[in-house]
Amino acid sequence: MALEDEQEALLPGSGGSPSSREPRPQMAAICDPSRFAHRVVVLMLMCFLGFGSYFCYDNPSALQTQVQLDMKVNTADFMQLYAFYSWPNVVLCFFGGFLIDRVFGIRLGTIIFSLFVCAGQVIFAAGALFNAFWLMETGRLVFGIGGESLAVAQNTYAVSWFKGKELNLVFGLQLSMARVGSTVNMNVMGLVYERIKDAMGSAGHTTLGITLMIGAITCLFSLTCALVLGYLDKRAEKILKKEQGKTGEVIKLTDVKDFSLSLWLIFLVCVCYYVAVFPFIGLGKVFFMEKFQFSPLQAGAINSVVYIISAPLSPVFGFMVDRIGKNIIWVMCAVVTTLAAHLMLAFTLWNPWIAMSLLGVSYSLLACALWPMVAFVVPEHQLGTAYGFMQSIQNLGLAIIAILAGVILDSRGYLFLEVFFSSCICMAIVAVFMLYFVNHLRGGDLNLSSWERERLQKQAAIEYWQRFGCSTCPLRPKCCRLLNPVLVGKCGDLTLFGAIIMLELVDQGTRAEQPEQCDFLFINIVNYTCC
Amino acid sequence: MCAAIWLQLLLAVVAALGTREDKETRQIYLQFNPGFSNSSVNLLHTRAVGNGSTIHYIWSTIGAPTVLLIYTEDEHSELRINWTKLLSADPSGAITMDPADSVLYSTALAFTRIFEYNDVNNTANFSGTAERYFYPAYDLSNFVWENANNTLNSSSFSFRLSGVDASDPTGSFRNGSVSFRVSAYDRPGRDTSAPRLLHTANCTKLEFSISGVQPRGNQSRFAVEMVTLEKKSGCKTLRSVRSIDDEYTPTIFKMMELVPNSPNASHAQGYFQWKSVAYGSVNGTRSNSLPCVVYDPKGVNGTLSVPHIIQAFYGEQLIHQYNMEVLNVSFGIAEGDFYDKNMFLGWSALVGYGLPPRDSFSILVICIMAVALGTPLLLLIVGAIVVSFKKKSAYSSYEPIN
Repeated sequence: MALEDEQEALLPGSGGSPSSREPRPQMAAICDPSRFAHRVVVLMLMCFLGFGSYFCYDNPSALQTQVQLDMKVNTADFMQLYAFYSWPNVVLCFFGGFLIDRVFGIRLGTIIFSLFVCAGQVIFAAGALFNAFWLMETGRLVFGIGGESLAVAQNTYAVSWFKGKELNLVFGLQLSMARVGSTVNMNVMGLVYERIKDAMGSAGHTTLGITLMIGAITCLFSLTCALVLGYLDKRAEKILKKEQGKTGEVIKLTDVKDFSLSLWLIFLVCVCYYVAVFPFIGLGKVFFMEKFQFSPLQAGAINSVVYIISAPLSPVFGFMVDRIGKNIIWVMCAVVTTLAAHLMLAFTLWNPWIAMSLLGVSYSLLACALWPMVAFVVPEHQLGTAYGFMQSIQNLGLAIIAILAGVILDSRGYLFLEVFFSSCICMAIVAVFMLYFVNHLRGGDLNLSSWERERLQKQAAIEYWQRFGCSTCPLRPKCCRLLNPVLVGKCGDLTLFGAIIMLELVDQGTRAEQPEQCDFLFINIVNYTCC
Repeated sequence: MCAAIWLQLLLAVVAALGTREDKETRQIYLQFNPGFSNSSVNLLHTRAVGNGSTIHYIWSTIGAPTVLLIYTEDEHSELRINWTKLLSADPSGAITMDPADSVLYSTALAFTRIFEYNDVNNTANFSGTAERYFYPAYDLSNFVWENANNTLNSSSFSFRLSGVDASDPTGSFRNGSVSFRVSAYDRPGRDTSAPRLLHTANCTKLEFSISGVQPRGNQSRFAVEMVTLEKKSGCKTLRSVRSIDDEYTPTIFKMMELVPNSPNASHAQGYFQWKSVAYGSVNGTRSNSLPCVVYDPKGVNGTLSVPHIIQAFYGEQLIHQYNMEVLNVSFGIAEGDFYDKNMFLGWSALVGYGLPPRDSFSILVICIMAVALGTPLLLLIVGAIVVSFKKKSAYSSYEPIN
């Protein structure tokens, strides 16, 4: 049995390597899926795949005054537009991966999700055209069904095309593109509305509808990208004999009962933090106009500062947190800084650029330090469930708080709203502190520096291997597939230990899959264990 | 234990806040046409007595609707009205105070005209709108006012002056009216209706409203003109107080105050205060709020006829000792709704003596912040203690090696 596994690992192509030895017709670099030039084209398509959905997600925020005036709704109803986006995702987070892997496949899945996004935005715009707010809400619901799952599909594509190559860079670029979409939206939609109003001579729900229809063009564009990408992926599959990309996500809801206290605390931080950021940005534009007397243009610009800052900072912080470790401390810094930013917005009349910049920096830092923590407290086979759960809870929180924020604003005003957001952040701080202490008392490795973590992992691997040997190792199939066959033969039971280190290397970047490095490692291991 | 400490802390905060507030109360007396049995004219006399002083407010619709604010350092100062003189063409000296030397301060505010203009470009730019877009202004001194005695409510110390244009050539007032609802207060507090102004016992509130009046265009906006006066040594200045607190009037951060700017003011003086918002409905929700804009007061040139009641109280002194100023408040915002959407416009302001009341954070906000910020700190301390304790016990469990 074990031998079969190893045999399987030896088959060419099954390891995801694109360098198939079969002879292929020569083609131009840009058309050859195994060449860099072609991958650049694919990368661009992948980046624009999410552009439409990120552009349209914050349409309501960019046009808040217009929506409220033209559709004659109060803020609580307005915030329903955000809540309706979140509702389907409370459930869909669990199924996005499943749908892609088992039902549609990545290509069809991406196209279907893009269609949902498109249809959602068109329904949303039609709601404005026909002056039916319920239709707009329906549109956001449909949009939400597609939006979040599209992001999963986008990541899966990235992994399937760039694993072992420029993957981190690709993730970074995709994220930056998302932020660019949001930023462009914040700064442009107001202007588009003005232009159309001038052209039509008056403002009204028709003006709003046409503006949103123009927004839908970005979704159409993204849909086109999905179609082209689907074609190219199919073609690459034929030429390179590569598998269709999979999320590899396994969701088992019964895993929930095994979740540790630390994981629940991480969820709590996640919910409390994000509900104080996204609903705030949703209401931000009008806040800056009403409290700080900014022009609509300025208000839109400052409301997009968080996104602008996070575009370049996310990769930097990601690198930094990776290298230094100490995740809890970073999360603490991020949450406390966010609290400071909210307190500034609530209790001072200082220029909001300061507070928003702080918010942007801390938001980027938190994203880089919080999400990877899940991997430290959850065994690998439960990771999919844990992340699904985290996103689900986050969406639930966002939906509820979005509505609540609208109600609070209408009845109690901005000061109270900011106080409310600050309390949410304070709750996040409480959760981080508890996480720190729990981790400290139980000797968890959430807050280790990265070198300590490395040392511990090696130690654990040795202990495990010394106690059980290789045959019972849960990682065995993976390790057999990863390891160079020569080495497997040479080292026998030592494979587990090597595999763990290899996995780590794969996770950290792209340095693995080089036999000479493995050799070096194994020599070291042998030396080490012998001593 | 922790909870108890917190509760005590909260109580202390609440107590501190409670004592800080101005608890001054006054006795309110409200009288309709004192010493005159005819109810064809309206003159309402409100006396707020307490703390060794009396604040008189005299509201009248004889001539343009006017309020006189007279502060006397005497709990027994009385108003004397010579009715025959008051109703004559020259009312100078018809209204006096007894004893006259108890009057420490007085001022007046008269509502003289209501402007209506056609906001063709929907810019709500009242001062920049060309003359030709203005409809003839409503002169409030030509209005016919209802008998206010029927609206008098002696338990809430309030009454309503409501009137319609006497000539009304366009029939605009067939179903509508302009009205002033006035309430006096005997203790500090806060209104329950929007914009929920904070008041003391030293002020009264007026709610100016134009309701049901047919606008003369479907893009009509309104503005109101007021006349006020101050001793020659000073003049009224407009102060805009920007606050961070909009808990009581959501999204409105600006408070406007019209206060005397006299260089050697030895004591507090009269003020006129409002939030820069009006409402398009009676219950005043955020969705139909209309920002209002006030324009700097200008000195009156000789052409303006002096409002009747002001003439009656100040008489001959007026020209020599007082500066009269006129100021406009316009309602509406660019791109906002026009009057014809709701057919209602309501605007509230306070007229009072002393220092204008200032909003402070509500106890609820302070409590929430205290709990929100306090809990993490508490947790940090408790956590640190627990962790250090555990560590100590962990270390002490090690046995010495030999």
